[in-house]
Amino acid sequence: MDFLLHIIIMACLTLFPLLGYNIVFGKGKILHFGQEAQSLMAVYTLWVLVVQFQQPFLLALLASLLTTTMLSLLLAQLSFRLEPDGFGVMSIALHLAVLSIILNWQSVTRGALGIPRIPRGILPSSLERYALVVVLGAIAWYFFLRRLERSSFGRNLVALSEHEWHAESLGISRKKVHTIAFLLAGTGSMISAILFPPYIFLLSPLDYNFQHMIFFVMCAVAGGPGSLRGVTLAIFLIIFLREGLRFMGLPADILGPVQIMSFGLILFVAVCVRRDTLFPKQRTV
Amino acid sequence: MPILSLANIGLTIQGHHILNGVSFDVEEGEVVGLIGPNGSGKTTLFNVLSGFLKPTEGSVTFREDDITHLIPSKRAQLGVGRVFQHFGIFREMTLEDNVRVALEAMPKELRNDMGTMEETVRATLEMATLLSHAKQKAGSLSGGQMRLLEIARTLKSGKELFLLDEPTAGVSPKMTHQVADIIGALKKEKKTVLIIEHDLPFIAQICDRVVVLDVGQVVLSGKPDEVKKSKELQEVYFGADPTT
Ligand SMILES: Nc1ncnc2c1ncn2[C@@H]1O[C@H](COP(=O)(O)OP(=O)(O)O)[C@@H](O)[C@H]1O
Ligand SMILES: [Mg+2]
Repeated sequence: MDFLLHIIIMACLTLFPLLGYNIVFGKGKILHFGQEAQSLMAVYTLWVLVVQFQQPFLLALLASLLTTTMLSLLLAQLSFRLEPDGFGVMSIALHLAVLSIILNWQSVTRGALGIPRIPRGILPSSLERYALVVVLGAIAWYFFLRRLERSSFGRNLVALSEHEWHAESLGISRKKVHTIAFLLAGTGSMISAILFPPYIFLLSPLDYNFQHMIFFVMCAVAGGPGSLRGVTLAIFLIIFLREGLRFMGLPADILGPVQIMSFGLILFVAVCVRRDTLFPKQRTV
Repeated sequence: MPILSLANIGLTIQGHHILNGVSFDVEEGEVVGLIGPNGSGKTTLFNVLSGFLKPTEGSVTFREDDITHLIPSKRAQLGVGRVFQHFGIFREMTLEDNVRVALEAMPKELRNDMGTMEETVRATLEMATLLSHAKQKAGSLSGGQMRLLEIARTLKSGKELFLLDEPTAGVSPKMTHQVADIIGALKKEKKTVLIIEHDLPFIAQICDRVVVLDVGQVVLSGKPDEVKKSKELQEVYFGADPTT
């Protein structure tokens, strides 16, 4: 029972940044691989201020909102200035840069050790209640995004992803639409920054490394890029697999490689199956 | 006062002069044909007018505003409409979403006097004679149907200047007259039309004036029947006549 609750909580917590990421990468077809940079920015600003500097939670939250928004805007700007593949590489570099700053700025972040004793605060302490909060939050996030997807913002995003020139010639502003997409991705990271570390009472940089980014890409691709329902389903299945492997009691030195290999296999198969719809060639004008 | 004014437009890409000193005016309500051999720079000129390419020289004026440095979406909101050579519709979207996305991109003032969204979507699809396909994906349409949809959508979304790039290309002969009809409707509504077309009889029939482009330069311009008879046109299309 606890195992099942744990899986549900983990899946819901992943849903926040992942569905945000799916807006940018899946729906918008923007080659963005820096979602975990946004997550790191959100989560470290928040908990470093609360735990290391004993600032009030709301103040820390405000600061975190500010830094995450700035980073999201920076990513959006970069995506306008660079070619798609250049931006892809740049977003990876940005993630690794943020990660290495966090790993090396030990006096503030405690480096690779992470920050222990993250308080639950007003979040419930029992597993069942915690699950309830997270599930309700995830449902709200899902339906909020579904609404957006069916609004003019969603249509603009799809139009731009199918053909930028055709969309712009109608009067759609790429800058406006894509900036909103990046801000939504940042919001997903924000929500999980509030909920995830208190769940495991620990903020560890390992939970935001590049492997997690690949995990996001895998879920987005496997679920059908852009499909809210498909990606949500994919998260639950893949988290079940990931956490299931962990509960099988394999020794740690085998578990890691087995996880990576099985993710690699899923990603490989998913990309093969979806290679046509993933990034369809834009027709020339 | 012309609605559109091109002054000495030049475009050089990687050392190639693709457009060279292109200047002409288009009056409001006028239908102007832009003709010239393949590769003469017609589509490129449209891309400069829509804002996708920045000219290396010269300026574009639309209704007294210098729009040379405006981004494409801003020009669209001012009323510059574009119909693409290879169909500018979104194939993965339904027909009604294709129309909706265009109407939603209109500037607020225009949208306010438009009537409700649903009515206008309906009226647009009706105009394109595609109402019964409203929920279908646009990718399932024939070339002619896509063209009708694109032109009707551009008209209903409040555009004043129409840049039509080979509207009859990729359209079955059976539907060509329907496309011609809808272009006639633009004319009746006093819209300004700049149209690229290879079919000379078609051009002669609907245009008030013809501009001939060759190797990125305007070589000739005038009334359709004058241009049709002129020696220069023969030279542009068939090379110089060796007997003269
Ligand atoms: N982005 C570009 N880079 C380099 N050359 C281009 C570019 N766009 C167009 N051209 C060249 O400009 C010329 C005119 O092309 P185009 O405007 O498409 O001709 P048309 O529409 O009259 O057939 C062609 O020789 C084409 O190869
Ligand atoms: Mg052309």
